[in-house]
Amino acid sequence: MTATNLPASDAGATTSRTSSPAAGPGRPRKSATQLPRTFYLMVLPALVLFVIFHTIPVIQGVYYSFTDSPGYGPSNLVGFRNYIALFSDPRVLHAYWFTFLIAGVATILVNIVSLAIAVGLNGKIKFKTTLRGVYFVPNILAILVVGYIFNYLFSNSLPALGQKLGIDFLSTSLLTQASTAWIGIVILAVWQAAAFNIIIYIAGLQTVPQEIYEAASIDGAGAWRSFRSITFPMIAGFFTINMVLSLKSFLQIFDHIVALTNGGPGTDTESVALLIYKGGFQGGEYGYQSANSVVFFIVIVVFSIVQLRFLQRREMSA
Amino acid sequence: MSTQASEAAVAPGARTTRKRRRGESHDPVNWWLTALLIVLALTIAVPLYFAVVTALKTTDQLGGTGFGLPTSVRWSNFADAWRLTDFPRTALNSAIITVGAVVLTLLTNSMVAYAIARNLERKLFKGLYFYFVSALFVPFPIIMLPVAKETALLHLDNRLGLILLYVVYGLAFNIFIFTAYIQSIPRELEEAAAMDGASTWGIFWKVIFPLLAPMNATVGILTCLWAWNDFLLPLVILSDPGSATLPLVQYVFQSQFQTNYPTAFASYLMAMAPLLLVYVFAQRWVISGVTQGAVK
Amino acid sequence: MSQSSSPPRRRPVLRPLRATTIAGVLVLVASLLSGCSGGDGRTVITFFQFKPEAQQYFQDLASQFEKANPGIRVVVDNPADPETALRTRLVKNDVPDVMTLNANGTFGEFASAKIFRDFRSDPVLDHVNPAYLKVIGALGSGGKGEVNGVPFAANASGLLYNEDLFAKYHVAVPRTFDQLIAAARKFKAAGVTPFYGMLADAWTAQSPLAPLSSQLQPSDFFPERFADRTTFAQGWRSTASELAQLYKYTQPDPLSKGYEDGTAAFAKGQSAMLLLGSYAVPQIRASKPKFTVGSMALPATNDPAKTTLVSGVDVVITAARHGAHQKEVSKFIDFLMQPKVMTAYCKAQVAIPTLQGLRNDDPALKGVQSYINAGKIVGFTDHQFIAAIPLAPLLQTFLLSGNESRFLSDLDSDWDKVAQRRTWGIGAVNS
Repeated sequence: MTATNLPASDAGATTSRTSSPAAGPGRPRKSATQLPRTFYLMVLPALVLFVIFHTIPVIQGVYYSFTDSPGYGPSNLVGFRNYIALFSDPRVLHAYWFTFLIAGVATILVNIVSLAIAVGLNGKIKFKTTLRGVYFVPNILAILVVGYIFNYLFSNSLPALGQKLGIDFLSTSLLTQASTAWIGIVILAVWQAAAFNIIIYIAGLQTVPQEIYEAASIDGAGAWRSFRSITFPMIAGFFTINMVLSLKSFLQIFDHIVALTNGGPGTDTESVALLIYKGGFQGGEYGYQSANSVVFFIVIVVFSIVQLRFLQRREMSA
Repeated sequence: MSTQASEAAVAPGARTTRKRRRGESHDPVNWWLTALLIVLALTIAVPLYFAVVTALKTTDQLGGTGFGLPTSVRWSNFADAWRLTDFPRTALNSAIITVGAVVLTLLTNSMVAYAIARNLERKLFKGLYFYFVSALFVPFPIIMLPVAKETALLHLDNRLGLILLYVVYGLAFNIFIFTAYIQSIPRELEEAAAMDGASTWGIFWKVIFPLLAPMNATVGILTCLWAWNDFLLPLVILSDPGSATLPLVQYVFQSQFQTNYPTAFASYLMAMAPLLLVYVFAQRWVISGVTQGAVK
Repeated sequence: MSQSSSPPRRRPVLRPLRATTIAGVLVLVASLLSGCSGGDGRTVITFFQFKPEAQQYFQDLASQFEKANPGIRVVVDNPADPETALRTRLVKNDVPDVMTLNANGTFGEFASAKIFRDFRSDPVLDHVNPAYLKVIGALGSGGKGEVNGVPFAANASGLLYNEDLFAKYHVAVPRTFDQLIAAARKFKAAGVTPFYGMLADAWTAQSPLAPLSSQLQPSDFFPERFADRTTFAQGWRSTASELAQLYKYTQPDPLSKGYEDGTAAFAKGQSAMLLLGSYAVPQIRASKPKFTVGSMALPATNDPAKTTLVSGVDVVITAARHGAHQKEVSKFIDFLMQPKVMTAYCKAQVAIPTLQGLRNDDPALKGVQSYINAGKIVGFTDHQFIAAIPLAPLLQTFLLSGNESRFLSDLDSDWDKVAQRRTWGIGAVNS
C-alpha cells in the first residue's frame, strides 16, 4: 500500500466490515487519519448552498416570530408575546387538534390499506404488472388538482347518489360540516398516499424468502398466522419508516384541505399548515404565524422521535 | 416450489377461502384476489373518468351525480383551457424546471450522500447527515418569505433559482435514502478500484454511480413529481408572469363568485396529461426502479 | 432479494447521461436568455390583474394599449393567489407598476402602509363618482386626505329577487324592513322559499350583514370601536336580531347548501329572493334562468329615507407609490378609465361603472340605480374587520343557534384578542 493517492483510510479498515446494510455507523472509530480532500469537496458546495437557501431563511423566519411583522415594511420586536398568544388562541389550538386527528387516522389507515393491497399485489394474481401500474397512478397526480375533483364528487355526486338511494347520511355534502368533513379529507389523503406506500411495501414483501412460508405451512400455520409471525416482523423496518414518514407528511397536510374545504366551514377544518398560510399571508399576521411555525416544527420533531423510538422498540422485541 | 402455500400466506384478502385453498389442488392464479384488486382499482379510475366526462360538458349540464355522459359534447372546453392557461408556454416552463431539477439533483445529491455515507464514523460527516436530514421536519412556511426575499436579492427569482432550490431542498430526503442505500454496497469494489490507482472522484463516478441506478430512478421520479406538481415554491419565487408553471395557472378558472367547472376540469386533465403519458410509457421502469430502490 | 428484473448494464448510461446534462444545461441557458428579453428598447410596465374572470378582457386591453403606444410594453400578471402574490412581491420590494385590486380590508392595509400612489390631485379622478372615493378612503390611506386608488367598477350588495315570482304573487318591492318580512311571510305561506340559505359557504351571511349593520349601527361605530370606546354588544344588537329574523325564512337546513347550490336553485325559480349582491348575477345567469333577475337595496329600518345601498368597489386601479415609470403608468390608467372601456367591462361583469354619467342598463341593476344616482351608497362594513377575526364562522354559528348575546360577546372578545396582537394598520390599538 504505497501509492500516495490511495484512499488509504478507507481501504485499511474494511477488513473487519460486514456488508449488511446496518453496519455503517458501527465501525470502530478511526484515529485522525487524513481523509482525501475529495470527500470534503464533494460536500462543500451542497453545504454552502444549503446554508444560504435553507438555514439562513430558517433563522430569519425564527427572527420574524419575535416581531409583529405583516411580512413587509417596518415592524417591531415583541419578544415572546406571539408565543404566549398562541396558547390562548382557540383557532390555533383547534387547528392543532384537528391536524393531530387527521394525521393520526390517516397514517394508520394508509399503512393498513397499502400493506393489505401490497400483500394482495404480491400474491399470485393475474395482470400483476398492470395492476401495480394502476395503483401507483394517484401518486403521479397533483394533490391540489385531484382534490378539486374529489371536492366536486363529495359536494355534488355523492349527495345526489345518496338522495337517489335514500341514504340520509350521504344526502348532504360531507364537506359542509366539520364533523364529517374530516372524513372526506382522510379519504382523499389515503387515496393519494397509499400509492407510494404500496410500492414500498411490495418491495419489502419481496425480501421475504419463499422458503420460510413453505416451512411455516408445513408446520400448519394458516395465512393470518404466517402474516403475523413471519411477514410482518420481516418487513418491520419498512413499516417503521413508512409510518414515520407518513405521520410527518400528514402533520403538514395542506393541499388536501385547500382543495376540499379551504379550512371551512369557517375555520373548523384548518390544519396548522393552512392556518399559518392563511393567517400569515392572507390575514397579514406574518410574525404571529411564524411563531406558530416554530412551535409546529418542534411538535413535528417531537412526534417523529417518539414514534420512531416506539416503533423501533417494537421491532427489537418482535 | 410450492407456490400454493406461499400464495395462501401472502393473501389476507382470501382469508375466508384460505382453508379451502390449502387443501385444493394446485391453482397458481388466485382469481378472487385478482377480482378484488381490480374492483379496488376502480376507485382510482372513477375520479379520472369523472374528470373526463365533466370536462366535455357545458355548465348547465352539471348536476345530479355528474357521472352521466354529456348530452352534447363541448370540445371547446379544452381549447378554452389551452388558451386561458397559455398551455404551451406554461407546460414548457414546467418541463424546463422539472428536467433541470431532476438532472441536477441526480448529478449532485448522490455525491454528497456518498461522501457522508462512507465517513459516518467521523463526527463532521455524521453531523452533516443529521443537519441535512433535519430539514425534512422544517415546515415550509417558516422559510417561505425569507427565501422569496433572498432569491430576489440574488437575482434568482426565476426558473434557474427555482431549479436550484429544488436541488437544495431535495438534499434532505435524498441524502437520507441514498445514504441507506450506499451503506449496503460492499466496500470491496471501491478498494479494488483504489488498488488499481483510481482517485476518490473516479471511484465514485465509475464504481458507485452505476450501482446507484435503482436509487437514481427512485430519486429521479420523486423529484420529477415534486417539481412538476409543486405550487407554493413557484408562487413565491417566480417574479416574471411569463415563467409561470402549470399548477399556478389552474386558478384562472376559480374565483369566489364563479367557477367554470367544465373548463377547469379540462385544464386539470391537460395539466395531468404530460406526466400520465410519461408514466404510461415508462411505467414498468418506474415501478421496478422504486421497488428496487426501496429494498435497500 | 427476489427481483423480477435485473437492472440493465449501467456503465454506458454515463455517456448518454453526460449528453443529457449538456443538453439540459443548454436548455437552461437558452431559457434564461429568452427570459432576459426586453432589449427592444421599450419601457416595460408590469400590470398586476387580480380578477380571474376578467383575465382575457384586460389582456386584450393591454394589447390595444401597446398598439396605440408603441414605446410601452405592458406585462400582464394574473397571479394564482393575488393577496399572497402581492404580499410576496412587497417582501421582495417589487411592487407592480399598476394593479387592479379588490377594494377590501387588504387594500386598506396596503394603502396605510404607503404602498400606493396618492391620486388626490390626479385629473383621472375628476369624473369619478365622489361617493366611491369616500368608500375606498374609509378602508385606509397613506395619510390624511390621500386617495390611493382609482375606482373602476363597483357592485351593488342589496338583495336579488325573482321578478316573475313577485309579479305572480302580487308582492311589491319592499321599502321598509317590516314590508320585507311581510313579503317573506307571504312567500312562505304560498310554499315558495323566501330566501335561499347558503350557510355552507359562511361568507354568504356577510352579504345581508353589510346593509343591516351600516344602516343600524351608530354613525361612527368603527372609529369608536378601534379606539376601544364601544363594543359590538352595544352597537350591533339590532343588526344581529334583524339578521336572525331574515334567516328564519330560509329553506330547512340551510347549512347543507352553499353558494353554488343557492345560485343554481334561485336560477331554477326555487326561491323568491337571494341575499346576495350583483356579483352573483353572472353565476346565476350561467344556469340560464327563465325570468328576469332584479335587485333592490335591503331596507333595514322602517324609514325608507334611511335606506342606503352597500356598494363596494369591486375593481380599483392603483399604482406603485415609488414606481420607476410614473408617466407611462398614468397613461395606461387614463386608457383604462375611458368610458367605453369601463362600459364594456361593466356590461360583461354586471358591474356598476364609477364614472359619473355612465350607467349600466342591465335589468339586474335597475332596482338600485336610484341609490347610485343619489350617491346614497356606503362601503362594506365587514371590510373593517381584520382578516384574522373569524367573522364568517361566528355568523354561521349564530344563525344556527340563534344565540344573539353569545354572538356579540364572542365577536367582541375575538376582536379584542386580535387587536391586541396588532400594532399597526387597520385595527391598530393605539394604547
